[in-house]
Amino acid sequence: MPHYQGLSRRSFLTVGSLAGLGLTLGDYLFLRQAQASESATALSEKAKSVIHIFMPGGMSAQESWDPKPNAPIEYRGELRAINTKIRGEQFSELLPQTAKVADKMTVIRSLTHGEAAHERGVHNMLTGYRPSPALVYPSMGSVVSHELGPRNNLPAYISVPNQFDPSAGTGYLSSSFAPFSLGAAPERNGFKVRDLNLPGGVDEVRYNRRRELLDLVNCDFNDRVAADNVGAMNTFYERAFDMVNSAEAREAFNLEAEDGKMRDRYGRNQAGARMLLARRLVEAGARFVTMTYGGWDHHNQITGNMRRLMPDFDRAYAALLSDLDERGLLDSTLVLVSSEFGRTPKINQDGGRDHWPKVFSVALAGGGVHRGSIVGSSGATATEPDDTPISPEDLATTVYHQLGINAEKELIAPGARPIEIVKGGQVRHEIVG
Amino acid sequence: MKAVFASMLPRYTSVALALATFAASTALAGEATYVELSVYPPAASLNHAADYQSVVAVAKRADGVSEDVTEQVEWSLDSEVAFLDGSILRPETNGHGILHAKLGELASQCDVTVTGVEVNKPISYRHDVIPVLVRAGCNSGACHGSARGKDGFRLSLFGFDPKGDYERLTREMTTRRINRALPDDSLLLVKAVGGVPHTGGKLFEHDTVYYEKLREWIESGVPNDLEGAPTVESVEFYPPRVVLEGAGTTQRFVAIANYSDGSTRDVTNLAVFSSNNDSVAKLDPSALATAGMRGEAFVMARFDTHTVGSQVIVLPEGLEYEAEMPPPVNYIDELVDSKLADLRLEPSVQSTDAEFLRRLYIDTIGMLPTPEEVEQFVADATPDKRAKKIDELLEREEFSQIWGMKWAELVLVRTENNRVDYKAMFLYSEWLKEQMETGVPLDKMFKELIGSSGSSFDDPAVNFYLVEQDTNKISENVAQSFLGIRMQCAQCHNHPFDRWTMDDYYGFTAFFTQISRKRGSDYRDWLVFNRGSGESKHPVTGQNVPPKFLGGEQPDTKGRDRREVVAEWVTSPENPWFAPSLANRVWAHFMGVGVVEPVDDFRVSNPPSNPELLDAIGTHLVDYKYDLRQLVRDICNSNAYQRSTVTNQSNETDTANFAHAQTRRMPAETLLDCICQVTQAPEKLPGLPVGSRAVEIADGRSSNYFLTTFGRARRDSVCACEVKSEPTLSQALHLLNGGTVHSKIAQGKLVRTMLDEGSTPEEVIDAIYLRCLARKPSDTEREKLLAAVGDGDKPVAELEDVFWAILNSREFLFNH
Repeated sequence: MPHYQGLSRRSFLTVGSLAGLGLTLGDYLFLRQAQASESATALSEKAKSVIHIFMPGGMSAQESWDPKPNAPIEYRGELRAINTKIRGEQFSELLPQTAKVADKMTVIRSLTHGEAAHERGVHNMLTGYRPSPALVYPSMGSVVSHELGPRNNLPAYISVPNQFDPSAGTGYLSSSFAPFSLGAAPERNGFKVRDLNLPGGVDEVRYNRRRELLDLVNCDFNDRVAADNVGAMNTFYERAFDMVNSAEAREAFNLEAEDGKMRDRYGRNQAGARMLLARRLVEAGARFVTMTYGGWDHHNQITGNMRRLMPDFDRAYAALLSDLDERGLLDSTLVLVSSEFGRTPKINQDGGRDHWPKVFSVALAGGGVHRGSIVGSSGATATEPDDTPISPEDLATTVYHQLGINAEKELIAPGARPIEIVKGGQVRHEIVG
Repeated sequence: MKAVFASMLPRYTSVALALATFAASTALAGEATYVELSVYPPAASLNHAADYQSVVAVAKRADGVSEDVTEQVEWSLDSEVAFLDGSILRPETNGHGILHAKLGELASQCDVTVTGVEVNKPISYRHDVIPVLVRAGCNSGACHGSARGKDGFRLSLFGFDPKGDYERLTREMTTRRINRALPDDSLLLVKAVGGVPHTGGKLFEHDTVYYEKLREWIESGVPNDLEGAPTVESVEFYPPRVVLEGAGTTQRFVAIANYSDGSTRDVTNLAVFSSNNDSVAKLDPSALATAGMRGEAFVMARFDTHTVGSQVIVLPEGLEYEAEMPPPVNYIDELVDSKLADLRLEPSVQSTDAEFLRRLYIDTIGMLPTPEEVEQFVADATPDKRAKKIDELLEREEFSQIWGMKWAELVLVRTENNRVDYKAMFLYSEWLKEQMETGVPLDKMFKELIGSSGSSFDDPAVNFYLVEQDTNKISENVAQSFLGIRMQCAQCHNHPFDRWTMDDYYGFTAFFTQISRKRGSDYRDWLVFNRGSGESKHPVTGQNVPPKFLGGEQPDTKGRDRREVVAEWVTSPENPWFAPSLANRVWAHFMGVGVVEPVDDFRVSNPPSNPELLDAIGTHLVDYKYDLRQLVRDICNSNAYQRSTVTNQSNETDTANFAHAQTRRMPAETLLDCICQVTQAPEKLPGLPVGSRAVEIADGRSSNYFLTTFGRARRDSVCACEVKSEPTLSQALHLLNGGTVHSKIAQGKLVRTMLDEGSTPEEVIDAIYLRCLARKPSDTEREKLLAAVGDGDKPVAELEDVFWAILNSREFLFNH
């Protein structure tokens, strides 16, 4: 038997990341064990999976979660505000369906950080760390994959349709924890994830023979060579076999299996198809599904652009929350809607808004998140947090906490550097129970 | 049992000794046999009444470990010019003197020059106030240095705009932020000492020099000396390199700034200190380094816009070390082995002939050796057969193709709507390939490219200026591609982790502001020419910035195409980055990891793992007149390249010092080419006739599912990170179930043909192994595989499954 099978997921990472100099493997394993038991998640998990809906480009809060109907027109913009299921709280008129399910969600209106460039903001929001020139941090999905591993033969971390940003990757962790990219967009006709099914002419008997032969051929090399990347490839082959062998796992990617009514309910468009697929994936066992929708960098014509993009999101998102709730999955599935930053308080001369990380909104639902709650405020003009500022560190720590992951735990970066999953974040009880 | 002897010689003074069969024991550690004493700084100059300079003494033991002996040495000054207050030199009278240090038999000294004892230096905004704001972290990105400031107070990030900061400090919130009548009531001070609530917390105490300096500045009427103040020319950080033994061991460092007026200053209490690996060595605010776990760290001091660093190696206490090193083949081995000895790492054994051959073929020509080539090579008894093979492969056409592709990634060979037509792109790619085939020196090739003008058809190098047309981006690309420097940060603020300022950025950009483009007579053609006008504007000052070389002079560009001027500078042998960064790219291609890694991120805070080695490969490239093949020859002939990938206990965690060969997944193009080669099933690639190789695809925009999945660069940016070699789940799925492996085996009919021609299953298995892995199966492997194949008549499907398994095996996918 190839030796890698004898190693646990954790110790496999360990071997890989002993880069640089350092301890002997023995020391190292001992240390890791000590550490693992110390932080051995005394936390109880509330959420079993996360659907992260990321709105790339920096979505305006004023035109979505945090309208300012009483502000002067140059702050308020052209859109109106409508009432929601949360008493006394309003969303933009572009979110009518979501307003009706607002009692299932928590909106944070006081998220704040200092990174106004796209790639830096994305890194901050996806990893919980400000970008550093010395180290690339792992995304939340990769950390979850590292901490919790796959379930029901599905990859732990899945990107729909592709890994959209380098920051959504493994950072300093082994590439074994990289997201599985579908490689095809669910909204396309005839959407199919490549290479999930056996090639023509290969039946199960033949497939099993191939696998047996592959083990034979790999044996010698894997015994001799203990490189990190070889280990990662071994892991991926194991995962691939698991997935191919499991009809349930493969079926999770099959959007056609949803009936037409359900597809219409989500909407047969980018937002709808991706969210529906994300729901199928977490239902089948995926732990962290990241999907993107739209492009929100509206330096020009923000009203028109929001009118174009928001309705599909509104319909799909409201459908997703209701659907999850009906299936009894909302309490175990944390749905996070975020963006790299928000947009300037004032409308600019091109009718758009520019980058504004100082205050913006993030929406959460399910997985133990309070139902029907607004956290923080961005003041009269959405210029800065008026109360309860929430940092990306807090947000990440809270999400990890719900998954039963202690964010203070240290992971090992190359050069045997221990790095906390999130540094200095708090579990925010304004958000979760 | 290897010979163990305690070396009593000053090993580190001679590289050669470290290469001999070498061993050391630290049993003598307690007895401290010192072989060398150094005093830092080597020369001290005191320039005014209150000036001072701290000194540090470091003793090196016979086993290479260094100790901070500042407290142990006997200090003596041979004159009255200064006196020693603890380990701090303070001026007495003007003149020269020598500070002697003595430790047992060993001695060292520091030249002391004292001038200006009569001068009482007035407080300086430029040199006293700004450094305090930097040191306390006031103008960092998380605090007032954020683009919009913090809590109503904004400073420029790391002080890139001292003039604007002066205005904001002194003109905003007058009498509150700065209260000249009651300096101690100034918010600037009250906030910093935590006298009132401060989001940033308490930064320093009342009784510190920081408080004192800010207070003095306010009290003296907030003088502004920005005009005419001397500038910091360089910063020194001592000691340059230490080897600490045992966790908890400490070593003090000193930082010294050199000013444009010739004066120096001890800035240890003003510089900002950091370590790139705190768990190995941590540097506290007083520049005291404390050793942690075993490993290597680079500790840094940042002062003004300068960052300098020192290497710290930490060894565990009482480490037994004995290593047998083969004699060095060339300068590469001397330098690599010397570092391994420092780190007490034992190199892996030499690779076998078969391993070497497969590795060499993949790296140099992107193909696998044929079965005949393997058998011939392994059977060959000539002692220098490896060197001969290297020479042979360097002359192959495929070598030029590989490097044509690699440089194409660097200079963005791709089609671009309305900018680079397919024809122009193709000619651009052909131009690169031709340069490689005819052995044009790299400096000549890139000089021509950077200075190019003309038609995109007739002078294809100009496509570099067509594919990217943004002036800032062009200048960033030139710095990153040819110098390995990332300038991007400095576009908006002084680079926080490197020496680059906005002045540098816009000065370098000024070389590219006069490019003009117009359509040629053929609608697909474009002409690039020098307009002779157009300037680079500094966004803070609004002033035009004249062209200035990075870290160099302002050349006279009058009457010349500025790009020709910068092309000469970039590619000149004196350029400190050009040759090393190219040599490092070549090194990384063969060794799997650069001496500087990533290869396009040369900066002070990302130091080379082996500075002497980086220097040597760069210098050799220059000496070889930038002949790529000669450098490749040196690398491939070295022991370092020819080691096994199998690690031993001492080097298993090392990834940066070339103690063992790196296992690398084959690059996308090479992997596809090798699969086509061994299955004898050619691929139809976009834009190329059937049977062409993937490395020949000219356009970065052309790809197929296989190449994209395995990480082919799209050439959207010049970043070396575009080529990805990390394994992914999609790759595993594609090899298992996808079209490539399964169909190519069927299409090439290798198994069927061999069986038809009368080969036995055993012969077929041997042939597949030899084709794919450059070795025959072991007896066990052969036996087990034959058993799995069964004894059917003509087991085509079974043997094709063996073939399938080998193409899916890690031994095939990886270059090892």
